[in-house]
Amino acid sequence: MNRCFIILALLWMPSQLTGQEVADLPWAFRSPQSPAVPVGDQIKHPELVLNSIDAFIQARLDSMNLARAPKAEKHTLVRRAYFDLIGLPPSPEQIDAFVNDESGNAWINLINNLLESPQYGERWGRHWLDVARYADSQGFEGDNSIPNAWRYRDYVIKSFNDDKPYDQFVQEQIAADEIWPDNLDLDPKRVYILAESKRRNMEARVGTGFFALSPQVAESALDAHRLKHETLTDWVDTTASVFMGLTVGCARCHEHKFDPISQEDYYAMQAIFAPSTKEYLHLHTPMMRGDWHWLYPRLTAVEEAKIALKVFRSRTGGRELNDDEKQQREQLRNALIESVMRLPDNANSVPNEPFDILMTSPTATVLGHDHPKLLKPVHFLDRGELGHKEHVVKAAIPVSLANSTDRDQAITKPFESRKEFALWLTQSDNPLTARVMMNRIWQWHFGRGIISTPNDFGEMGAAPTHPELLDWLALSFIEHNWSIKEMHRLIMTSYAYQASSQFGTDEHEQVDPENKYFWRMNRRRLEAEALWDSVHATAGTINLKMYGRPVVPPLAPDEIAALREKWQWPISGDPAEHTRRGVYIMVRRNFRFPMFEVFDAPITSVSCPQRDVTTVAPQALWTLNSPSVYRQAKHLANRLVQASPNDPNVWVQTLWKITLARTITDQERAESIDLLNALESDAAENLEQTKANIGQLETELATLTPQRAAGLIHLCLTVYNLNEFSFVD
Amino acid sequence: MPGVYSRRQALSQFGMGLGAFGLADLLARDSYSQEGVEARNDSLPGTAEHVIWLFMQGGPSQVETFDPKPALAKHDGSLLPEEFKKFDLAQINTADAKVFGPQFEFAKHGESGLEISSLFPEISKHADKLAVVRSCYHELFIHGSALTMMHTGTRLLGHPSAGSWVVYGLGSETQSLPSYVAMTDSMFRNGTATFSSGYLPAIYQGTYLRTTGMPIQNLGRPNGLTETSQKRVLDQLKKWNGRHRDNRPIDSRLDARISNYELAFQMQMAAPELIDLSKETAATKELYGIDGSATDAFGKMCLMSRRMVERGVRYMHLVDADWDAHGDVKGNHQSRGTAVDKPIAGLLADLEARGLLEKTLVVWSGEFGRTPIMQGSNGRDHHPYGFSIWMAGGGIKGGKVIGATDDFGFNAVEDRFHVNDLHATMMSLLGVNHEELTYLFEGRERRLTDVGGQNDISRRLLEG
Repeated sequence: MNRCFIILALLWMPSQLTGQEVADLPWAFRSPQSPAVPVGDQIKHPELVLNSIDAFIQARLDSMNLARAPKAEKHTLVRRAYFDLIGLPPSPEQIDAFVNDESGNAWINLINNLLESPQYGERWGRHWLDVARYADSQGFEGDNSIPNAWRYRDYVIKSFNDDKPYDQFVQEQIAADEIWPDNLDLDPKRVYILAESKRRNMEARVGTGFFALSPQVAESALDAHRLKHETLTDWVDTTASVFMGLTVGCARCHEHKFDPISQEDYYAMQAIFAPSTKEYLHLHTPMMRGDWHWLYPRLTAVEEAKIALKVFRSRTGGRELNDDEKQQREQLRNALIESVMRLPDNANSVPNEPFDILMTSPTATVLGHDHPKLLKPVHFLDRGELGHKEHVVKAAIPVSLANSTDRDQAITKPFESRKEFALWLTQSDNPLTARVMMNRIWQWHFGRGIISTPNDFGEMGAAPTHPELLDWLALSFIEHNWSIKEMHRLIMTSYAYQASSQFGTDEHEQVDPENKYFWRMNRRRLEAEALWDSVHATAGTINLKMYGRPVVPPLAPDEIAALREKWQWPISGDPAEHTRRGVYIMVRRNFRFPMFEVFDAPITSVSCPQRDVTTVAPQALWTLNSPSVYRQAKHLANRLVQASPNDPNVWVQTLWKITLARTITDQERAESIDLLNALESDAAENLEQTKANIGQLETELATLTPQRAAGLIHLCLTVYNLNEFSFVD
Repeated sequence: MPGVYSRRQALSQFGMGLGAFGLADLLARDSYSQEGVEARNDSLPGTAEHVIWLFMQGGPSQVETFDPKPALAKHDGSLLPEEFKKFDLAQINTADAKVFGPQFEFAKHGESGLEISSLFPEISKHADKLAVVRSCYHELFIHGSALTMMHTGTRLLGHPSAGSWVVYGLGSETQSLPSYVAMTDSMFRNGTATFSSGYLPAIYQGTYLRTTGMPIQNLGRPNGLTETSQKRVLDQLKKWNGRHRDNRPIDSRLDARISNYELAFQMQMAAPELIDLSKETAATKELYGIDGSATDAFGKMCLMSRRMVERGVRYMHLVDADWDAHGDVKGNHQSRGTAVDKPIAGLLADLEARGLLEKTLVVWSGEFGRTPIMQGSNGRDHHPYGFSIWMAGGGIKGGKVIGATDDFGFNAVEDRFHVNDLHATMMSLLGVNHEELTYLFEGRERRLTDVGGQNDISRRLLEG
């Protein structure tokens, strides 16, 4: 029986709540109060308490009489920290440096180094992009591209690397244009360079690209009014899920059955966003745009030269050219080349500002405002249907939340409504914002949140396993100026984080099989991007270039078959781009990068708070059979021969260290060398075939006999398929 | 289904979140999922076990196929009566729209006298197997949203497709093939969203099966690796993965991943065998129109579907593109109709001959119908307010018509049958109560039929 029909206790909300009514609000709707950290008698095992986090965890486990996992080995910890913070495996040198560092600061030094790595933002930015339902296209039939969505992706990565305070991060995404409405006038003396404050404001505004990413129908015969309504629906639902941890979609059609969010509240939130619209923000300074205008004839010349060649081709299409025509073609080609060569590499005197998209000035899609005369009121819709308009609803904060933060719910200025909302969200007494983000951070570290439904802190979500711990973390987060990196340090120096994952007794299986109470560390299956990165990093082929337009790696015919319009997958011209980190690979709503799809990359139509971890046969097929893994196995084999020209002992030892971050056991050494020999004799049986099949080899690998090389490649392929390679203890 | 629930329970006890689904699905391959068991209801027909959905992408015209409208012929070329002008259409202004008469003749067929147009001479021979519903409807008149509605029961992106729900509820019968397969003779207009598992775990995702070359992604061994070597690799993997698992208690994902290598290995054999039609007789190929002509592509898809039913595949989604006849509805429909007519008739005949039709529900639909009024000089626009679909097999007694549109074929007026009702009916024929088969996502118990869906027509489908 659907719970909708059982629970009839609709909460009717008057415009003001009494103190008692505020006290009766669900836990998540009341501001966190500083909880007492368990001490003394409450904890039977003080040796397992490294910081306050452990006090909460240990007190709970002690009360259940549940034993705690021992601390993980150092080689396990180093691999855990690398994957967790930067999403890449440690190199053998990095492993040794940590394992051999006997000082008391080894662990915190490792954490600090990783937090300073630029790869950190790519890893943690990717988590945020899941939540932000990031995609480079709009979905539905046409799946039209959002050409500059990646500016928002880069903004996110940079924000994490800069350790931008989370309150500011929220404010920028929701209302940068309203909070910092700075114009971009030029300093007359430094015409190409924006004043630092203005540059920051411009960057902040790219954050509102969060709203430009919504899925959108783009087909003929669209009703503008309906479109706006669908967009507002996405904006409000996503805002509530992402920043407030509330699922409000139900309130669009009926009173929210379970949470104190009424249908009136829902439309009041739509009204906050109603005056806003997407617009383009030029990212060149006005002076640079001036240059671009100045260069316009040169850009036009390129286009015209292209057209001239096209016209010639269509005129002579398919037939044999005579000498005159050949000459003409040559001239046209040269004209095109010359016109391209006449373009400057960079915008006039500004270094590092390439013309990345010809004929356009670089832009980001951001939020701005509709013209005041075009503003349309938001109506209360009966059953959420556009045809059933009732009264007009004014912008406001949900009444129950306004009350619990002791403020009036009304938002008055239409062109500062997002500002007011964002500032309210990031007030330190807002009951949701810090808790919701802290829970996400916890979940991204541990694989499970203190509330296991991170986008739903409401009554339909899961109850917190450690409410006091979450409150304590939320308050610490605010105290530390909303610094996410500080929270990493706090969490990772706890015993809970450093506990082994290779632990569990029958009692644990009986009492808490899901490890809700964190008696051990959770093992993590590498996410799609981390697995992609890991294969390329261990093969030594990863290209760590940061930022920029989405990368489009080539696909096998069976992989691209399901894409309707093959031109929507425009393969990156430079092969070095094909091995960039997964976070940069193009995200199409109607066609996910096939390997990512197989490994549970999120659907990008709505916010994804937590990735599925499924185990399906196509995953095994990818690692076992895909041409791209086979190619990387060849590179990995070459690395091994670089380490030693012909000693299989060194090969397998190196292989284990590179891929599994540990020392090979004697048994594994013997087994892997046996396997290598057997695979080599398989390859020797049909030597001509082997030669043809393994194709071109890199220098070092080519010094081996073809059958030996094939054996080694196949051994590397085997290791890529180990559970141990895909899982992090 | 004794034992299934407890086995699932056991799994979820030592499972880690959704990771357990992998193993659970492997174990449940011979039976129904826990959710399916709970949603099964003995009062429902439950006569079907497999579904083959023949999807005419682009939108076939109801008035040229299964909904005869003499009034249209009579008023051909005249202005549309006032009463219809309130309807919103994609591109045609209803104020000056002209009625456009049917482009194909209708005739009665079979003992039942079911009326079918001359577009489908071969399907007409099976008239007594078909239950035509002439009153299907929704409100979405552009392809993207309408397809999303037909596939997932809602107009918004991100929801699971019908096949995913069916597999989620009924589990799989095959050890070596995916249980939900999508095929097309051209393309999927909504991309892979067509067979997406949405917010359901990826294990319920449809697999795109190509009918030529390598049928499934990464199915072929890499060039350099012989079968002997691959077996060697897999044997060693099993040992190493097993040892790895033995040191790591309470994590079913590790077992699931080990099993998946076995499944992957079996798929490498089974899937190429499935699409290899060389062992089928000449007579069978002839039956499906596999002869290099226009019927060849869809014929192969239909024949493979029969082979999949035999091998335990649960749900097959077959797409024929493209019925989007904005201009020259006659020419377009003649060409598409010819391409699918013989293959579909062959499928119905073959399933029946092999005793498979009784347990296989065949559904024929597009994402909407087409306007009874003219677009341009000889085309028809998109029309979601009243269109025809049919069902056969899976226990259905054919030769009947349910529902009706008005005299002009504009609006469903009798036994109005929303897409949610169609899905509810399909589920009911599979023995599942559509309201009970739910999945908690974003704070709501979600289901295929959103907040709608009636399955009361399913009883009428079974009556003689």
